[in-house]
Amino acid sequence: MNNERKRIITLLAAICLGFVLLIGYLSYFQMFEAQAVRDNSYNKRLWINEDNILRGSITDRNGEILVYSESHEGDVQRIYKYDNLYSHVIGYSLRDYGKSGLERKYNSYLVNANENTAINELINLINPTGIGNNLNLSIHHGLQKKTRELIGDKKGSVITMNPKTGEILSMVSTPDFGINSLSENWTSISENSESPMINRGTQGLYTPGSIFKIVTATGVIQNGVPEAVYQCTGSTVIDGYTIRDFDESGHGSLNLEQAFSVSCNAYFADQAVALGHDKLKNISEKFFINQSIEFDLETNKSIFPAESIGLTDLGASGIGQGRVLVTPLNMLMITAAVANDGYMPMPYIVESVRSPQGQTIKSHVSESKKVLQIGEAQALQRMMREVVRVGTGTNAAISGVEVAGKTGTAENSSGMNHAWFVGFAPLENPEIAVVVLLEEEGSSGGRAAAPIARELMDFALKNISN
Amino acid sequence: MNDKLNSKTPRKLLFLFEILSLSLIFLYSWEGIQMETYTIAIGLVVLIYFSNFILSKISSGDNYIFLIVSMLISIGIIMIYRISPELGLKQLMWLTVGITMFFAAYFAIKYIGFWEQLAPLYLAACYILFAVTFVMGTRTNGAINWISIAGISIQPAEITKIIVVFLLASFYGGIDKYRKIKNAELFLMGIMYSFVALLFLQRDLGAAVIFFGIFTGLQYIYSEERRLIWANIGLSIMGAAAGYLLFDHVKVRVVTWLDPWPHINDKGYQITQSLFAIAEGGFFGTGLGRGNPSFIPLSYNDFIFSAISEEMGIFTGIGIIMLFMLLVYRGFKIALRQESQFYRIIALGISLLFGIQSFVIIGGVLKVIPLTGLTLPFVSYGGTSVVTSFIALGILQGASEKRGKAGKANE
Repeated sequence: MNNERKRIITLLAAICLGFVLLIGYLSYFQMFEAQAVRDNSYNKRLWINEDNILRGSITDRNGEILVYSESHEGDVQRIYKYDNLYSHVIGYSLRDYGKSGLERKYNSYLVNANENTAINELINLINPTGIGNNLNLSIHHGLQKKTRELIGDKKGSVITMNPKTGEILSMVSTPDFGINSLSENWTSISENSESPMINRGTQGLYTPGSIFKIVTATGVIQNGVPEAVYQCTGSTVIDGYTIRDFDESGHGSLNLEQAFSVSCNAYFADQAVALGHDKLKNISEKFFINQSIEFDLETNKSIFPAESIGLTDLGASGIGQGRVLVTPLNMLMITAAVANDGYMPMPYIVESVRSPQGQTIKSHVSESKKVLQIGEAQALQRMMREVVRVGTGTNAAISGVEVAGKTGTAENSSGMNHAWFVGFAPLENPEIAVVVLLEEEGSSGGRAAAPIARELMDFALKNISN
Repeated sequence: MNDKLNSKTPRKLLFLFEILSLSLIFLYSWEGIQMETYTIAIGLVVLIYFSNFILSKISSGDNYIFLIVSMLISIGIIMIYRISPELGLKQLMWLTVGITMFFAAYFAIKYIGFWEQLAPLYLAACYILFAVTFVMGTRTNGAINWISIAGISIQPAEITKIIVVFLLASFYGGIDKYRKIKNAELFLMGIMYSFVALLFLQRDLGAAVIFFGIFTGLQYIYSEERRLIWANIGLSIMGAAAGYLLFDHVKVRVVTWLDPWPHINDKGYQITQSLFAIAEGGFFGTGLGRGNPSFIPLSYNDFIFSAISEEMGIFTGIGIIMLFMLLVYRGFKIALRQESQFYRIIALGISLLFGIQSFVIIGGVLKVIPLTGLTLPFVSYGGTSVVTSFIALGILQGASEKRGKAGKANE
């Protein structure tokens, strides 16, 4: 009898525990997971809500309207004024195909579904508003147009940023797609082998080539002897494998600054081996490689091999070949960190969210992380200036402005090189940083990418005032 | 005297609860109040209030279980009426039948004394009901668990559940008798496994889980061969693994439980729609009539918990879970007070039935455990479900009255 009572009570306790767990999970789900579930584009309620709500508009930094919604006798229409120009930034919001870009990430603001708190819910029940909030972007519409124009029909991505604040000024990824005709062309666009729907700037992973030497050079500054003179013979043999220079006649004797300016592969491959895998990896990770980047759009992680790699691979990594893969946005952040005296700004596009009455609901606060000592950053700044002044990046030079940069020509499996350029200007008080990636361009970064960067920096310095 | 006072106060609170919930109905259908609205409102209040009143006069047993169930069924009817007024009225009719059957079952338990001597009959009845299902059954939503008699569809497994409780109670209650038979307990386990296997074949996984759960719970308390419990647990794990490998319909449940999102358009549709609804509801819900529970398949039936959470919020959802917890607690308390072993086991078995069934379906629609098709007792729409649940409750009410060791009612 006693045993029986004990077991009955144990069983009762077990059942009650089960119910308590259900209650706990239900509360947890509502507090931490519900928002993401509600925003799933398969949730038909989103569309029901939108039939009643005029989705908010999206403007550039000067208040120029880029996207808005209009109601014609109860029939709501979303108007993308610039069709393909913002296909990867603003994205689309289509009943049949869901949402992407900022339309997706900021959906709950655009339809004015407030934060999922009990109080807000009550307020919304009592006083529902029929108009969504507006987004104000950091994008400069003129620069965005210029960026798109300069990349033309080439494949790749160009991003510009204010290196002090992290504001994205323009962001283009090509091939792009027209949003107003997306529904009709959905299959041909979504199944296109060139993947036009991917934002190459934030999600594309590319071999960086020589622009990665910024990272390796940081290693040399921190751990090596930058002044030491190295004899370049045009190639170096690491573990039986030869790493060649672009110009095989050899650069002769050079120190870090000179090697950086002429982009000497032999020098940086040997320096990477001297640093060792762990040090180079740690520096990379400080620069947000292998780390996820919090951003208003979806990003992928850049990759530096996590496992210990062979010496040949390590040497190749030092010059941005081998198994290193980066996103253009990440390289732009590294460049901005150098420009900004060692503080890496966290990038953002949405400056503020405003209610239809003009009240600010949410505004972005710039953030930065210290990744370099000021002396290290200034040494890199000088080296990058030399690249544009006398090195491989002279095509980025602007008369009357001190420009700093680094070119990259990345070999990859396609056989056609990626052309890279990262840079910023003016040197002393940088107002713009830029990354240019031309995918499988088959030309060098100095020849193909640097001129685009020059045009953009020139345009930005003349037209954007802070 | 004290008892009378205690039983009156909760009844008044219940009346207040009913009035408040009915005001929801009136607010919901403010613009088009029809005959149906009044029928539902007046019918529900009168039915609930008077059956509670009558019960308190005739039963010396537990005063609370019927009150708890009254709240559950009221929430259910309001939600069903909101989804479909036609079904709401039908559910009111089922409630009338259910309450009638509740009293019938209560009196049957109270005045008939030989329930514990019918084990062979219970066993035969179970197998006959299974056979009938296989011969006459129709397949709905993948499971063969409905039969149609004279135009009325019923689910035999709902009835079998109760008979199984009686079968287990008469076995463990009269275990002295069965001790003479060699391996009697092993034999019982074989019988229960055959039930579970038959339910697997009918694809009625929910019922299989309940049968197994009730058996395991009672076995844990009463089995004299403790090794059998471990054997049971081991076999059930192997059985679940075999079911997963052998039956596609089991595999689908597990796959959509682990990650339904890639299958959002086909096999994961139900569960993701359920999660959308719960997420949309938030803490207070969208308000009755202001959500979209019709997006959830079977929103008035298996998924009624999600529909309620959408429009009344998870606070109501948590309330429902707590009502079930209280119901199980009262059921166990009845068992602990009951002197007759047979009726003690009956009370435990019925409480386990309510507890496991509500846990499995609520856990399922929340994606805490794999989804199995089951009704939420007293809340979901459905004739068989409502009527059999009330029969079970009537039995529990009967088992809550004091009895001598022999099982005869003594007042």
